[in-house]
Amino acid sequence: MPVDMNVAQAFMEQVQEMGKMEVPSKLSDQERVETAKQVIRDGINAQLAIDLEACVHCGLCAEACHFYLASKDPKHTPIRKLDLMKRMYRRERSPARWLYRLFVKDVTIDDLNEWEELVYDSCTVCMRCSLICPMGINIGGGVAVMRAAMRTADLMPVEMRLVGQEQAEKGTIFGVGSEQFVQTLEELRKTGLKIPLDEPEADILVLSAVTDIVLFKDTLVSTIKIMNHIGAKWTFSSQGYESANFGYMTGDQEWQCAASKRVYDAAVACGAKTVIVAECGHSYPTLRWAGAELMGKPLPFEVLAPSEFLGREIQAGRLKVKPIGKQAKFTFHDPCKIGRIGGVVDAPRVVLDALGVDLTETEPHGVENLCCGGGGGNFLITRALPLRLKVFELKMKQFDDTGAEEVVTSCDSCMMNIMAGTMAHQWPKPTHSLMDLVGHHLA
Amino acid sequence: METIAAFLEGPFWYFSAAVFVVGVVGRLALALSLGSSKSLSVPRGSASAGAVRAVFSRFVPRRDFYRRIRLEVIAGYAFHVGLFVLLFFAAPHVEFYKEYILGFGWPTMPRWAFIVVSEIAFAGLIVLWLRRLLHPVSRKLSDAGDHIGSILIFFVMLTGCLALGEDHESLRLIHLFLAQLLLIYFPFSSLMHTFTFVFSRGYIGAGFAHHGVKA
Amino acid sequence: MKTGTTVNRHATRQSTTWLLPVVWLLLTICGTAVAEEQGGGAVPNPGIELWRAVREGPPPGVSRSQVEGIGMTTLIAEGGERWRQLRSNYVAPWGGWALVGMLGVLTLFHLVRKSPERFDGSSGKVIVRFPDYDRILHWFMAGTFLFLAISGLILLLGRYVILPLVGPQAFGAIASASKEGHNLFGPVFIVSLTLFVLRFAQRNFFARGDLAWLAKGGGMLSGKHVSAGFFNAGEKILFWSITFGGLAISISGLILVFPLFGQSRELMQLMLLVHGIAALVLIAFTFGHMYLGSIGLPGSFNAMNTGKVDADWAHAHHDRWHREAEEKGLIEKAPS
Ligand code: HEM
Ligand code: HEM
Ligand code: SF4
Ligand code: SF4
Repeated sequence: MPVDMNVAQAFMEQVQEMGKMEVPSKLSDQERVETAKQVIRDGINAQLAIDLEACVHCGLCAEACHFYLASKDPKHTPIRKLDLMKRMYRRERSPARWLYRLFVKDVTIDDLNEWEELVYDSCTVCMRCSLICPMGINIGGGVAVMRAAMRTADLMPVEMRLVGQEQAEKGTIFGVGSEQFVQTLEELRKTGLKIPLDEPEADILVLSAVTDIVLFKDTLVSTIKIMNHIGAKWTFSSQGYESANFGYMTGDQEWQCAASKRVYDAAVACGAKTVIVAECGHSYPTLRWAGAELMGKPLPFEVLAPSEFLGREIQAGRLKVKPIGKQAKFTFHDPCKIGRIGGVVDAPRVVLDALGVDLTETEPHGVENLCCGGGGGNFLITRALPLRLKVFELKMKQFDDTGAEEVVTSCDSCMMNIMAGTMAHQWPKPTHSLMDLVGHHLA
Repeated sequence: METIAAFLEGPFWYFSAAVFVVGVVGRLALALSLGSSKSLSVPRGSASAGAVRAVFSRFVPRRDFYRRIRLEVIAGYAFHVGLFVLLFFAAPHVEFYKEYILGFGWPTMPRWAFIVVSEIAFAGLIVLWLRRLLHPVSRKLSDAGDHIGSILIFFVMLTGCLALGEDHESLRLIHLFLAQLLLIYFPFSSLMHTFTFVFSRGYIGAGFAHHGVKA
Repeated sequence: MKTGTTVNRHATRQSTTWLLPVVWLLLTICGTAVAEEQGGGAVPNPGIELWRAVREGPPPGVSRSQVEGIGMTTLIAEGGERWRQLRSNYVAPWGGWALVGMLGVLTLFHLVRKSPERFDGSSGKVIVRFPDYDRILHWFMAGTFLFLAISGLILLLGRYVILPLVGPQAFGAIASASKEGHNLFGPVFIVSLTLFVLRFAQRNFFARGDLAWLAKGGGMLSGKHVSAGFFNAGEKILFWSITFGGLAISISGLILVFPLFGQSRELMQLMLLVHGIAALVLIAFTFGHMYLGSIGLPGSFNAMNTGKVDADWAHAHHDRWHREAEEKGLIEKAPS
């Protein structure tokens, strides 16, 4: 069930190779600064403006951020990631701008270079800081604007840039496109699996993710088995099959829109009432919460996270599982994009309960769960690996404190990050995908 | 002394009060006027209920966080509660509101309570400010404006207490003058959080609630 | 970046060094003023007279007990009068002069000593000495202490030092403010002292090696470093002086602030004396401490500022603690 570590290793090396590439920008430094400033200026809406006014610089947000907790470096304080935005606000949008201009410094290219690392490498947009902040400041929302600004200024980690561009221009990720997806399904069909593809009509459109095709094929197989098990009228689409959306992670609206549109069109084409995204953390909020805004109207279908879907089917009695038994102790890691941001917290517990496992929760967990450090595209950034591994030590300790022997989660990014940590720290506990766990224990 | 008193209680008082009111309202209005797009996704919970909820629920930190920020929470409460009790229930203040603003007063606290409350507020304020100075995170975050705010509040409170003997007009006027400086400084500083916190908490609460998360 | 910080540090050092003679001068003026008030300050042997006066005080039974005995009225009045004289004739002038003397000694020491070793972070390694909470408590206590010391000294000496300078009207306001301020911050100091003692006591129990440190005078004169643990014997003495001196000041202060329990005038007078003497002793001690904590021992201030000290500083001043930290792997790379 756990992943073939050799495949994982090869995949990671592929990503690392990308990190070594140089992608020159056509923009001059001057242009970079100007475009970035423009995006920041336009991105400051009422909420961010109020937030920037309300922040009392207490620094409590640091105590919630896994990057600060791991590094203890004040530069990783969440609100500092919005420092350039604060300066922009003060100089250009605040009612007291005539005053602030006298002593608040303008944004420079050096600032942008410095902040690139802060908004990509050391923020996973996990929103945990917004839970501790006494003022309730939306730091994650601000970081998203900062990322958009960085993106237009061609200032982002080369890996994210390459993958984002690839997805937008060629429709492939890591060279995996429609062709490869269909090929993979063909191969799986040879094992006797029944796999509906491009059905003209279906109730449910199921998405896959590049990671499931390359790395976690078992999860893909389990997904298919489960869909068949509940007897749903479902289909894959050879056009809209990809959950991952690098536009969302990099902050590029156009890319984001292109990727979401493919899924949208596929769902509309088959008349699906439900779209189930793959276990690919960010894809859930991308479609569930941001999808409607991108399309400019409410989506004509509902969007479910895998764990949400599994929980619902179990409660409805359509999905029957055999108990795993209490011999092994488990703990569950809430992916931040699905728990805190997605709002799906109870469903995975319903599933684990049905599986009858001995579950011990980490402290904290659920909405407050500490991010693993790999989300928001961070997993791709090679230069951020040392910091990520330090973050993972916190996570490892939380897992160890539960006394659990195996970890379950429901997000490929988390899976990959935990695997990287496992390899680096020689940490012996296997990690499972929830979908896969269920797929292997169908009654 | 009389001319100073007349100036502080007359023109300067109206000036500082005006800066305060216009500044606070203007700053809030301009920030809010930037607007935000309405969410089109199907909500999982009521955003407005979440907004109201967050305004109040944020008064109590979550357990996991509380363990890390105990000192800040205790000192924070000591200072803020103390300050508000002093502001609204100290006899000289109520007297001032009655005479200069509202025209009516309300029951006030006895002198001993005034002293105890100000001691609590001072302890809280000093610890908070020291934390701002000494904790590497807040030290780096804080700018001159934050320190000016803390120090100004400190001296307003201090001069108020030093005037407790109520036998020297000069001491009372110093307190009044500093309080007026504070009013003028207020809308230009993060002291604005006195008002903005309602909105910032409301926004985040609404956002989370829309996603079905209680924040 | 690097040069910037060095320059800065240098600048602060210089400005503090300049401050010392200024403060010293100020206090000399104060002292002179007091002396003039006393008629030239020609007291032959103050120490002897002071202690004779103390010994001649009223019978111990009266001074120690809050119970007012029968037939003691006369004694009380007489004793009270004597103590008041004691305060204004001896405690105030000699306390004032003692503080000036302390500053003089420190200045002299600073000028004649060979310049102390600097620890400019060349080792590139630091050790965490005081976490945030420790530092917050230290400055909470130090701040309230200094506020009380200044307002208290105004109450004790202001009549001689400030009154002639600013005139009766302004002095009336200053004295009133000092009294209110002093009474207000007393309880705050008690809170800070309690928290501080609870947090620091454990590290201050005397241990082996402390006697040897004392015997060598902490190496202050020889200029050689003497082996010490986390705190040296001098710091421990400071700590316990502040603990017990602070306790005495607090109890006597509370009795003075709250004459609610029917304290006799007698007791109040005694308490004022205890309070004043204990406060003066502690203030003198803290002069020394403040000197050593800042310009006296370069590198020390970091301990209470950033909480991290240079590893070489630790090795020089607290070698046994340094070794422990080394063994536990607590020596960190200095942040750039
Ligand atoms: C404003 C000037 C002051 C400075 C620069 C200063 C500096 C320091 C420093 C650097 C230390 C740490 C020494 C070490 O690393 O071992 C320290 C400790 C300490 N300070 Fe201060 N301090 C000041 C004022 C005060 C005052 C006014 C008090 C008295 C209330 C005080 C009481 C203490 C005590 C009790 C300790 C701990 C000693 C021990 O526990 O053995 N300090 N101070
Ligand atoms: C370490 C802190 C303190 C210092 C350095 C200090 C110092 C002094 C000094 C020098 C005086 C003048 C003595 C005299 O007039 O003979 C004084 C007076 C006084 N102190 Fe303190 N004191 C301290 C703490 C306290 C505390 C904790 C309290 C009470 C809670 C207190 C209450 C008083 C009172 C009531 C007086 C008499 C003031 C008056 O003349 O009205 N003090 N203090
Ligand atoms: S916790 Fe909130 S108010 Fe405090 S510094 Fe962070 S963002 Fe600002
Ligand atoms: S959103 Fe998460 S990663 Fe980003 S600053 Fe906040 S707590 Fe840290």
